[in-house]
Amino acid sequence: MPAVPPVPLPHPGGPLAGYRVLDFADEKGQLCARLLAELGADVIKVEPREGDPTRLNGPFFRGETAPNTSLWWWAMNAGKRSITCELRLEAGRDLIHRLIPYADLVIETNAPGTAAEKGLDYATLEALNPGLILVSITNFGQTGPYKDWLATDIVGSAMGGHMQLNGDAEHGPVRTLAPQAYAQVNAQACVGAMTALYARGVNGGIGQHVDASMQEAMANAMDNAQATWDISHVNFTGPGLRRNNRGPVSPRYLFETRDGWVACLQAGGLIGPNSGPIIDWLAESGEANGLDAPAWRARLAEPLPLTQAECALVEETMAAFCRKRGKLDLVAQAQARAAGWAPVFSPGEIVESEQLAERDYWVRVRHEDIGESFIYPGAPYLLSETPWMQRGRAPLPGEHNEQVYGELLGLDEVAVRKLRMKMVL
Amino acid sequence: MTDRDLKQPFAGLRVADFAWVGVGPTVSKYLADHGAEVIRIESVTYPESLRRVGPFVNDTPGIDNSGYYANFNGSKLGMSVNLKHPRGPELARRLVAECDIVTESFTPGTMAKFGLDYESLRAIRPDLLMISMPLYGQTGPWAPYMGYGHVLQAASGYNHLTGWPDGPPIGTGIAYTDFLVPHFAAIALIAALDYRRRTGVGQYIDFGQFDAAVHGLGTAILDWTANGHEQTRMGNRDPEAAPHGAYRCKDGRYVVVACFTEKHWDGFRAALGRPEWCDLERMRRKWQRLNEQKEIDRHVGFWFEDNTWDPSAPEPPTPDDAPDIPPVQRFTTDEVVAHFQNFGVPAGVVKSPEAMHADPQLRHRGHYWRLDHPVMGERTYDGPAFRLSKTPGRLSKAAPLLGEDNEYVYRELVGLSEEEFIELLADGAFE
Repeated sequence: MPAVPPVPLPHPGGPLAGYRVLDFADEKGQLCARLLAELGADVIKVEPREGDPTRLNGPFFRGETAPNTSLWWWAMNAGKRSITCELRLEAGRDLIHRLIPYADLVIETNAPGTAAEKGLDYATLEALNPGLILVSITNFGQTGPYKDWLATDIVGSAMGGHMQLNGDAEHGPVRTLAPQAYAQVNAQACVGAMTALYARGVNGGIGQHVDASMQEAMANAMDNAQATWDISHVNFTGPGLRRNNRGPVSPRYLFETRDGWVACLQAGGLIGPNSGPIIDWLAESGEANGLDAPAWRARLAEPLPLTQAECALVEETMAAFCRKRGKLDLVAQAQARAAGWAPVFSPGEIVESEQLAERDYWVRVRHEDIGESFIYPGAPYLLSETPWMQRGRAPLPGEHNEQVYGELLGLDEVAVRKLRMKMVL
Repeated sequence: MTDRDLKQPFAGLRVADFAWVGVGPTVSKYLADHGAEVIRIESVTYPESLRRVGPFVNDTPGIDNSGYYANFNGSKLGMSVNLKHPRGPELARRLVAECDIVTESFTPGTMAKFGLDYESLRAIRPDLLMISMPLYGQTGPWAPYMGYGHVLQAASGYNHLTGWPDGPPIGTGIAYTDFLVPHFAAIALIAALDYRRRTGVGQYIDFGQFDAAVHGLGTAILDWTANGHEQTRMGNRDPEAAPHGAYRCKDGRYVVVACFTEKHWDGFRAALGRPEWCDLERMRRKWQRLNEQKEIDRHVGFWFEDNTWDPSAPEPPTPDDAPDIPPVQRFTTDEVVAHFQNFGVPAGVVKSPEAMHADPQLRHRGHYWRLDHPVMGERTYDGPAFRLSKTPGRLSKAAPLLGEDNEYVYRELVGLSEEEFIELLADGAFE
């Protein structure tokens, strides 16, 4: 047994064990590839000679910028192998083309029409391996009037219609700091990749081209706002502390507590069938502020919007009640009364959460190059027969050159060294 | 083999979809849009929540009139069963025996109460693939907790990370996690389905929405566990880019701009017309600009105010004695975005739902489907964010009416005789 376990850890028990993925992706596709690795696929990250550009994405471990300290890189590329290859050189493209017959999926994020310069267009790859599935993830899709437009996460959030639904009237629309356009297109493109993989299995091994759009991924994260425009011609905008409700707004559902904030959905507004038990709770504590009167109870049980004055009284009562109490206590008591409340958690509080600890959620990942281990998010799903598995830290640039080029192409050490001298690796 | 001969990926698979509200229906919709026969199993007595939430056509609430429900349930069949009827659970089990997949999102224990838990169902369908998708999974102290995406976004960090610096954790304005976690569930489900295709082995997936939602937090978890740094909301700024924000144009709409690289910044300066402040020493390097975001936002905010115009607003009258100077070039909101793009700067309009419907790119892509519904008429449905070149998804029909396909399901799949069907119908078993 080697003293240090190999990275990535083998995962023969995953549902995708036996499939191989070549990952040429930037922020729009790295998580997609990582999810495949954690389900058992052999994912090989292909980096340019100088290392993948996203190794420069912050934040960095201890704030120190170095090739292997990007937390973005760690989070999105854990459990993959890494090879380097210079696709700007013909020799590099040839080398990758020799790997294509051994791959089931290729994930790339080049701007539409530019993949060919790197030898990664579908026509070229299909000729080399008709069973290959090419997943192309772009800002706006492969074709159309905006196909050449530049975008980052905030542009995807804006042009995908999602950002308009966040924020408030005073400050305008707002983005979520953790990049959601990237998260969404990674996850949705991964569904496309899996669907194409399944299609191959039932159609005699045919490959195909999966064309995923970040704008469309965000368009799918608009709740009922799309349908509301379609049917009622009402445009939702950011509701601040309230919910995105049509017409007269319901009371806010976020309240400050003694130790943070709490989200009190159904009864935060004290509206609807769940309002009764919450009013009882207020009354038992002597803090109902008059809302326990039969007329008020009847009014609040109706699922109808409140007037501004009614909203104000409900909000004032709830705000005073929540301010005196701790958020976890409020949530536990509300849940005992069948109301679906939840605490507002920070990342640190999520890591400390009793629920995730009890589910044995977190995994400890060894970074033997640094000599430390760190806690990473664990299984997003528990599969009874073919479990998810975290497969170790993200790779160093070209860490698996000898292994991959040797295993798959039969190149020996000398051949790999020669390629390195020719600046291909 | 020509493309025409190709099977839709999930053709021949049948799904008993007990899941409801946002998450579950989105998962089974992927299967339905790519060929599976998905049967929404609903109750008349306890109708699916989304059927009771608008938008409603003509503002008339009605069980078959909700655009909210419709958008997430196209391409599916609809059946109804009253699981509290003495024969309800048996009818459901007989249907499951004819299905490959069961999806559900009830609070843990609910399915078991009706003998519809995985162990019981596996006894009648050994290769069954089943996924349970409640908020917090099957185990842990919060397993019985209730809620929707509006509160799960709070528990899973999205409120904390969305809002103005020093302001409250407003979160997204929507039930956000309902539109993130289903994709994760679908990935696991299709991976397990592919495994089943190759081995014949089914399985059970315990999917906790909370567990999956944490994977959408980018670097926030590692920044805490490795650096002890708690990321927090910072409006539209980004720790890695400056300028980075949403700026108000004259017509009231907002335009976003993001400068991550020196190339973006050079293009940005040129697009602004090289104002003097851009050449200040303290704007030279990115780390310096990151320290000057407040000043940058002030300048950029003014620029947008001065350089955009609203074509729908009346032109101010020009005084007769106006000096003869060339007019300043001004941009409409759409023009200003194209202007930044031409200079190599990532930029875009914050699109309203109305603008999304009119978006030329989405129209070109065919993102929105128009489907005819017997009660709601022709309405717009979202399609998948990806196109498969040879076996593309297809929204085959509008959402089902409640119990629309009862006769087909009960007669042909469950195998009831006509007499039994009528008897059970009269006895309220399908309520």
